[in-house]
Amino acid sequence: MSTAMNFGTKSFQPKPPDKGSFPLDHFGECKGFKEKFMKCLRDNNFENALCRNESKEYLECRMERQLMAREPLGKLGFGDLVNGQSEAKE
Amino acid sequence: MGGGLWGPRWTCAALCGWRRSHPGLTAGVAERIEHFLRLGRRGPGAAERGLRRLGTWRRPSLARGPSAGPQWRPKGTNPFTRAQEEDWRRRNKTVLTYVAAAAVGMLGASYAAVPLYRLYCQTTGLGGSAVAGHGSDQVENMVPVKDRIIKVTFNADVHASLQWNFRPQQSEIYVVPGETALAFYKAKNPTDKPVIGISTYNVVPFEAGQYFNKIQCFCFEEQRLNPQEEVDMPVFFYIDPEFAEDPRMVNVDLITLSYTFFEAKEGHKLPVPGYN
Repeated sequence: MSTAMNFGTKSFQPKPPDKGSFPLDHFGECKGFKEKFMKCLRDNNFENALCRNESKEYLECRMERQLMAREPLGKLGFGDLVNGQSEAKE
Repeated sequence: MGGGLWGPRWTCAALCGWRRSHPGLTAGVAERIEHFLRLGRRGPGAAERGLRRLGTWRRPSLARGPSAGPQWRPKGTNPFTRAQEEDWRRRNKTVLTYVAAAAVGMLGASYAAVPLYRLYCQTTGLGGSAVAGHGSDQVENMVPVKDRIIKVTFNADVHASLQWNFRPQQSEIYVVPGETALAFYKAKNPTDKPVIGISTYNVVPFEAGQYFNKIQCFCFEEQRLNPQEEVDMPVFFYIDPEFAEDPRMVNVDLITLSYTFFEAKEGHKLPVPGYN
């Protein structure tokens, strides 16, 4: 489907991911965070906006265990969560 | 001048362009024409007339060099037919020049089409190709468009030769453009040998594919699963906020993300997309 050569039909062009590929979590180190996230999704009828904290925690777990390149959370689209937390602390 | 006379002359005029470039073959073809002439007009001197015509073809040209083909001479003695023959000859040459130029033009256009089409796709965004102007700064600064909720469903496929159990861990997720989202797939290797897989993905509808950006996923790189191992594979993505402003996307509420795993052979290097 994605290799259709005719000009008229729209074909899909896969793009490589911006930050590359996630290394596999062979030892299940972040499985707990993943389970929390999945439970949150199931409870909230699969709405992503309500489970962003859990997804942020999962990604932080990955970064700590060298399963993901360390990035400031703002760059991953969690800027409002980070600011919200720092505001809450102060 | 009867039909018999016109027959061979018309044949000669039609073939004269060809024969100019093949002087060596004149003799063989001339013999056939001669036979035709003999058939057409019986009578004394028919063969001589035929030979005279052959002699006309073989006479060396004086205006052009010795290597040139037989010089073209108008066949008729009538000045009107001679002018007409010259006119035909000139028009034949013009037509031949135009046709040759068109052929060369077509060849050049087919070579130029590849980079031109790529440029066209990038400027108009057809075919879901990469739109220029992406970066992590965009992710940092993008504002979620809260009033446009999009349902993203997940699909998982496996190539027939790959024995993994590969499936999504959620059937759908509701996101808005401009908000990053996380989704999980699960893969299990039920065999007793380590297997290396590599995956690619697809987004339908195709036009929405250009707005679907993956920050990080598990595709296009070899993933190795040990025997009886099960792993979670996350996909971290977002939908470009410009999706909400595209008039073509007004009716799009459902996007399907589909991953397919293939078996990767050892040492086989697969081409990674993104050459443009």
